[in-house]
Amino acid sequence: MTSLISAKNVSKKFGSFYAVDNVSFDIEPGTITGLIGPNGAGKTTLLKAMLGLTDCQGSLSVLGLDPFRQRKELMQNICFIADVSVLPRWIRVSQLLSFIESIHPRFSRKRAEELLAQTKIGAKAKVRELSKGMVTQLHLSIITAVDAKLLVLDEPTLGLDIIFRKEFYANLLHDYFEEGRTILVTTHQVEEIENLLTDVMFINDGKLILDATMDSLPDRYVELMASGEDAVRARALNPFYERDVFGKKAFTFEGVDRDQLRELGDVRTPGIADLFVAKIKGAAA
Amino acid sequence: MIQTQIALIQRELWEHRAIYVAPLVIAVIVSLMLVTGQVAVSAFDQAIDIVILGATNLGDNERAAAVTLMMTATSPMFLITMWIMTIFYALDSLYAERKDRSILFWRSLPVTDAETVVSKLLIALIVIPLITFALIMLTHLMILAIVSVWLGFHGADAWHLIWQAAPLIDTWIATLIFVLTLPLWLSPFIGWFLFVSAFAKRSPFLIAFLPMVILPMLEKITFGTTMFAQVFFTRSVRMPLVRGLDLSDFMSDSGIDQEVIAESGLSLLSLIDITSYLASPGLWAGLVVCGLFTAAAVYMRRFRDET
Repeated sequence: MTSLISAKNVSKKFGSFYAVDNVSFDIEPGTITGLIGPNGAGKTTLLKAMLGLTDCQGSLSVLGLDPFRQRKELMQNICFIADVSVLPRWIRVSQLLSFIESIHPRFSRKRAEELLAQTKIGAKAKVRELSKGMVTQLHLSIITAVDAKLLVLDEPTLGLDIIFRKEFYANLLHDYFEEGRTILVTTHQVEEIENLLTDVMFINDGKLILDATMDSLPDRYVELMASGEDAVRARALNPFYERDVFGKKAFTFEGVDRDQLRELGDVRTPGIADLFVAKIKGAAA
Repeated sequence: MIQTQIALIQRELWEHRAIYVAPLVIAVIVSLMLVTGQVAVSAFDQAIDIVILGATNLGDNERAAAVTLMMTATSPMFLITMWIMTIFYALDSLYAERKDRSILFWRSLPVTDAETVVSKLLIALIVIPLITFALIMLTHLMILAIVSVWLGFHGADAWHLIWQAAPLIDTWIATLIFVLTLPLWLSPFIGWFLFVSAFAKRSPFLIAFLPMVILPMLEKITFGTTMFAQVFFTRSVRMPLVRGLDLSDFMSDSGIDQEVIAESGLSLLSLIDITSYLASPGLWAGLVVCGLFTAAAVYMRRFRDET
């Protein structure tokens, strides 16, 4: 099967600063990939390059297209929700639907109206009259009604309350995610999406520091809680990150046998958030 | 392609309602002023008799000229509004979407940057003029209708004095040609405004007009010449379309000189010299400049990273 997105040595420079620095990866169809990184790590720049919204060096192919040169063709098969991609405030919901209906060959107005009927958003309402949560609902309803192969979400739930956030991901899985559809998502609220992901990528300072399937994480990474003598022995096994937890030490290991560690204390697979911190801090140490 | 353009143009009209609201307001104001004026005049019986007697005694040609004058006297107001609206529209068209941060949403739809920018150029060159034209026609009809009612009220034969005399089709075709050729003649300005709209980080209005003031001044101080000033002035007021007339005359509130109309055999259309317009190198040079600025605006929208 060919990859949906294929990046080889992709870089993006602003002046002498590399926002994205020589990144290579593949994203397969039918996956939900989380792109995780701190602020200013290059997440949004990388997403924009994939969406053809900015140019870049290196070779980047999305759905077999060159995103920057073939943005129009690409956008027929991609949907995009971002914290920074706000809906125009002056437009009415019905106008928005009419407009997208006439320019988007894969948009089903009927489907969008069905989805909106489940919300409190009226067709006559202007975007400026809606709350932030409702605007996100509107945006999600619209892109769910597009028969697209890839959905890109960049901090989609930023600034929403917990109810809307839960609902957002529930609707996403229930209404959008079907056979053959692919999702790429970035967010700070890692815990919220952890259970949805099939794949995960970490990015820091423009560089990719992890690219793995979620299933492979338990085999690769172990977190050990140990204290006293055991902690000293654990440290000898070369953990790449160490932190204090309630008087104990938590060590994160990569590629170390789990059974061997079990003798030294409690072991578990680190959560994405813990692993992310370990990776970033560990690399810095 | 065509369907996308229609949708994009429709979108512009949703966002910029002033495009039709402004000329509509003028049409309403003109009509109200006319009604008020006639009510005022009606207080003087003698005056009415003289006006009606005068109109009745005019020859057919003079009466047609008078009616044409009465209708077209409102045109300068519409044309000035049209141009002011075009300036504001063009300066806002690619700036607003960046200011309200909706540009990434628009660019996440399957529409190219060129298609978007072209739709905005078409609004300035064609849609605004056509809407203005439609409201000029409507105003003409309103004026004739109001005057007819007034005449009828005072026992005069409005059909004969007004409707038979008015060279409506001639006036309308001439007006249509005028509103469509004017933006093309001024297109280098429109192109510049679109470019500034795509380029300016803030205050597009200032950035658009400052060079038009500063360049001639710098030139005058440095070289003692006035080339820039002349280029701007000539472009603004000397459209080679209407014989014997400067735009500056037409834009002034006196409208078209009655003598010129009488000489022309009562036809505005016969005053229009489309050949000399089309043969003017200034027109084509201007269109090229407009094209270059438009291409630069597309380039700005495509390559600028809005983070």
